[in-house]
Amino acid sequence: MDVDVLRSFVESVTGPGFEYVEARFHSRGFTQLFFINGVLAGAHTGVDLGVSFRVLYNGGLGFSATSDVTREGLRDALSRAVSSARASSLRVKSRISMSPARLGSASYRVLEVRPLDGLSVEDKIREVQERVKGLDAPRDPVRLTSYTVVYNEVVERKLVVTSDGGLVESVIPRVSVTYNLSATTGDRRANRWNMVAGSGGFELVERLRFDSEMRGDVESLYVNLVKAGSPPRGRMDVILSPEIVGLSVHESIGHPSEADRILGREAAQAGLSYRRGYKDPIIGSPHVTVYDDPTIPDSYGFYLYDDEGVPARRRVLIDRGRLGELLHNRETASVYGVESNASARATDYRSEPIVRMANTYMAPGDYRFEELLEGVKEGVYIRKYMEWNIDDYRWVARYVGLEAYMVRNGRLEEPVRDVVLEINTRDYYSSIDAVGRDLEFSAGTCGKGEPSQPMPVWMGGPHVRLRGVVVG
Amino acid sequence: MSSRSLAESIVERLRGLVDEYIVAIATRDSIMVKYANGEVTVTQAWRDYIVSVYMAKAGRIAVSTYTSRDPVDAVARTATLVEKLQPSPLYAPLPQPTGKPSSAMDPRVRDLSVAGDAVRIVEDVDVSGYGNVAGMVSLEYNNVHMLGSNGLDAGFEVTSFNGYMRVFRGESSGQWAWVSTGYEPRLALKAIDKAWELANLCSTLPLERVESGTYRVLLSPMVAGNLMEHVAFAASAGSVIFGLSFLQGRQRGDVIASEKLTLKDVPLNPSLPGYRSLDDEGVATRDKAIVEKGVFGGFLHNTKTAKLVGGESTGNAGWVLPRVFNIEVEGGSLREEELLEALGDGVYATNNWYTRFQNYLEGVFSTVTRDALIVVRNGKPVACSRRARLTGRLPELIANIEELSRERWPIQWWEVDTPSIVPHILVSKLGVTMES
Repeated sequence: MDVDVLRSFVESVTGPGFEYVEARFHSRGFTQLFFINGVLAGAHTGVDLGVSFRVLYNGGLGFSATSDVTREGLRDALSRAVSSARASSLRVKSRISMSPARLGSASYRVLEVRPLDGLSVEDKIREVQERVKGLDAPRDPVRLTSYTVVYNEVVERKLVVTSDGGLVESVIPRVSVTYNLSATTGDRRANRWNMVAGSGGFELVERLRFDSEMRGDVESLYVNLVKAGSPPRGRMDVILSPEIVGLSVHESIGHPSEADRILGREAAQAGLSYRRGYKDPIIGSPHVTVYDDPTIPDSYGFYLYDDEGVPARRRVLIDRGRLGELLHNRETASVYGVESNASARATDYRSEPIVRMANTYMAPGDYRFEELLEGVKEGVYIRKYMEWNIDDYRWVARYVGLEAYMVRNGRLEEPVRDVVLEINTRDYYSSIDAVGRDLEFSAGTCGKGEPSQPMPVWMGGPHVRLRGVVVG
Repeated sequence: MSSRSLAESIVERLRGLVDEYIVAIATRDSIMVKYANGEVTVTQAWRDYIVSVYMAKAGRIAVSTYTSRDPVDAVARTATLVEKLQPSPLYAPLPQPTGKPSSAMDPRVRDLSVAGDAVRIVEDVDVSGYGNVAGMVSLEYNNVHMLGSNGLDAGFEVTSFNGYMRVFRGESSGQWAWVSTGYEPRLALKAIDKAWELANLCSTLPLERVESGTYRVLLSPMVAGNLMEHVAFAASAGSVIFGLSFLQGRQRGDVIASEKLTLKDVPLNPSLPGYRSLDDEGVATRDKAIVEKGVFGGFLHNTKTAKLVGGESTGNAGWVLPRVFNIEVEGGSLREEELLEALGDGVYATNNWYTRFQNYLEGVFSTVTRDALIVVRNGKPVACSRRARLTGRLPELIANIEELSRERWPIQWWEVDTPSIVPHILVSKLGVTMES
């Protein structure tokens, strides 16, 4: 898409009442390979491509998108965005505005060590198949009844032009591998679903070690089905793995820090936030610091400028137990009288940019894993989960362990299945008394918006120790 | 270029490159008005052209999707990719098309969607009298034409008018949804009334903590719609292939639920936007029971999954895996107020979200209640609670269905993706958990 074409459309909207215009060309070229028990079942390829316009008129916001990128199609889409903005402005009481921002004029792309378009589809198929070979070898008495693998590559190209000078062009390739393992012992069945992903080229297939993850998950299913006993109940110490810590910070501080959620714009969909009425500046122990950072190289949530053209930076959500900044786009920043911290993201050309996380993680501390264990007289270590959820104010979360072990006198002991940790956010962060020196990330697809906008993110953290929380 | 002539151009390029193909050209116009804090926050309009192509060559299969008005060259390039794939364990020859063109189209929805002008919607779905309301109203017109190497030359057009509203009264809230193929603002207003009624009820009742335990639970159509969609999902042969079905190993005729439960896939219900008289392979669709009076009606198939088990397509294609079009749960004999009396002592869950499975194969799940969670004693609402979870196993939940309401509601929203008509469902035993 020619930048001058987009700019000419943006500049064509003039006159009293028009306060902001934004155009975004957004293309997502994808190839998906679907394997059943190591055999290629099919491929899905294509390009999802179009242009969206946002228009702010007299405090009313209109959005329109089209996949018809001819001049006629763009003219029609812009006209619909203008009509939509006028319709919004009719009933608006709280006028929408965009905060002033230092906008980028930039072009960037994520480099691929093994470029996705430099490899044949046969090579990609072969490499995935090589990596899962032998996965279904019997692990008596457990039998893997099925395993499915979906390899997915997406090259996302964007060009954002705003009426106040923003102009950002980007190319971000991403690779993900999702899989599901189903296992049985005959009378018991269990499954494990997982995903690994990052930004970059085909080198990620090796770097993300999805095959090692799968083999580890087969072992976890074996532990769950064969060796694990009944879960403990009662108040005890809990050690959580990076996989669960990452998820927990995404759910219980990332989402509630989204300013649009606090302002009620997501109230009927993804819900509200406890931060609406939470007056205490303290949310956790001094050991807890949580960041959201789009600029982590190779990350699944990587970007350098957001979809409103604002330069990305690390955001501090919890600083040594104290609640930190909110995540803003230019619309919510304007309400709060602050600068946007570049949290506007749109999934595709059909999506308006809304406030999103990127890569949310708890900062590591200085404990070795063995040191975390040493301090536990009686407790449980939860290593992997399957089930999780959280209420729509993001206050009470539930995590259920797929693989977990009892801890006694500083030693890992017998495995236990389906350990339940159901805990409110303040108790969770306040009970953390030690944070590991390790840091691992997991990939996720964050859900929000209407129409739904699945968004690539990383979630991470170290091992942490919680003192005296209720499990079971 | 018309949809049909574009499809013909693509077919022309595919000849000789692949053995089998179906080209589907979709044109879609949609508008959406979103509300928060009692006012419009954004009005959105879309116009999409989506070209999808199924291709097979020597048992290798690929699907290609382009949002473009001129994807002929791109599709041809993809066609050359097919022979580089490997023979698929799912491959089956395309069936003879038996489905006919269909239409469940309300011209008012089509015209408003195509015009992309939301002023009429803002006026007809007037939320101004309800205070703090959030939600959305969506209209969509979808026109699809398919041309296939199996002789398929048909399509369908359908409109959709759906949305949901969440009403806040102080710290209390209620939420409800609606869906229809027709432009029926009364459905929207009825849903907002229902949401307001629930929010208002909880604003007048005391707040009470529900202790963790097993309860008699009344599921509203919002909650029942979510859980029954998971049951229908488990009945797709695709879910079995993915290892995500608690019905794996079940046979048609097995008793899997209470005799009170009849759950159907109803592609031929013209009031729901999943209306189709032909599936993606061109096979005639039909309404069918997934569960009839507690008895499993069998898995949903396209020709590919049917071939794997030596059966026949149920008219639920999906080019690669089967799908559900619309869901209906048959109503029971009691009115809603009688069902509340039949609940006796228990909880009435009016909305939920975030249903997640600890174990898909055993159907072990939990879901978080939101909005009005009503404590009922002696058949009367006495208090409201917050942030409890419903936990259990889907096989046990459907076995423990005690009664259903006569009235049913057309529901579609964030947590009920498939257009559904669902009653209230009374379950005799279900876990409820609350943080300690």
